[in-house]
Amino acid sequence: MIPELVLATLFGLLLLGIHRKVIARIQRRPGPPVWQEILHAAKFSFKTTWIPATASGALFAGIVLVAIGIWTAAFFVMMTGGSLLVIFGIYMLHKIVEHAFGLSSGSPYGKFGGVRSVISAASEIPLFVSVAVIAIFTGSLALSDIIAWQQVHGPLFITAFPAAIAMYIVLLSKMPFGPFSIVEAKELVSGYKTEHFGAWRAGLEVCNGLKSTVLIATFILVFVGQLPLLWMVVSMIAVTVSLSFACAITPMLSPFDSVTIQSLVTGVMLLYAGIVYLGVTP
Amino acid sequence: MTGRMKQIAGKLLAGGVTACGLAFALNWYSWIPFWAFAAGVVLAFPLAVLSLFLWWMADEGEGDIPFIGY
Repeated sequence: MIPELVLATLFGLLLLGIHRKVIARIQRRPGPPVWQEILHAAKFSFKTTWIPATASGALFAGIVLVAIGIWTAAFFVMMTGGSLLVIFGIYMLHKIVEHAFGLSSGSPYGKFGGVRSVISAASEIPLFVSVAVIAIFTGSLALSDIIAWQQVHGPLFITAFPAAIAMYIVLLSKMPFGPFSIVEAKELVSGYKTEHFGAWRAGLEVCNGLKSTVLIATFILVFVGQLPLLWMVVSMIAVTVSLSFACAITPMLSPFDSVTIQSLVTGVMLLYAGIVYLGVTP
Repeated sequence: MTGRMKQIAGKLLAGGVTACGLAFALNWYSWIPFWAFAAGVVLAFPLAVLSLFLWWMADEGEGDIPFIGY
């Protein structure tokens, strides 16, 4: 499964490249080539690298290992049809990783990015209430069981449409240049990753590639079901392009507005989960 | 200082790649369960990737003080 892990990383970086290209074309710019993020990772890996004098050395370097490690674990969980809760637990862990990235550098920009990561976690993570709806319908949170349920009853995308929308907002929150991307807003230079350059940034790019693949593939597995490989690839590109449209036509929200909108969606989802619970359970 | 990080990275790279390969081979021949293989790769893959980058990077610089505000 190691070749698949490397391919998933490269494919995730390709998806992020497609994301940038689509945004650029919508905004009538030529944009970078779709493989730009792969080139980025390669370019950063060759650059002269050091640890800033103001940084906490062990945390500064160690957090890059943790970032890649947690998404490697998420990839294995997804590939083996493991628990959805573990994948979203890793998502939550990623918010802590972003926080540590920012705080380890000693730069105020990184620190603000890290703090915003925690603020956004307060509104993103409750969106996982949609997981409760999935559990009510399927009676399980194992990906393999959810896929099997959909083979009998049809895609959850139709059965639990509001839950799919909530999870889509979670995906949108993790996409660069999106309305909820407050952790890497331009007023913070690059936010939590401002001081992670060279080989450290290349490691972060590997993490981002894996994260994109795992989150988008999990979204499709949970709401559409198991597809043949070619259709899976096509679906992942389609989801990415739709996210790019949302990012291209929406301005980046202020941290307050971002948290407010996500919290409102969470409130609606709680109401929906309550209705589903009363309606489905005898 | 110069080259020290690269030397360490070279050794870690060899260790990381060996650990990944060993876990893969042992699982291939069913000598270890899948979860042990996965745990090995989760620990060794990040180490191999990051140390590869640190090993082949252009050069190693001295630590500087980033911009910390006006």
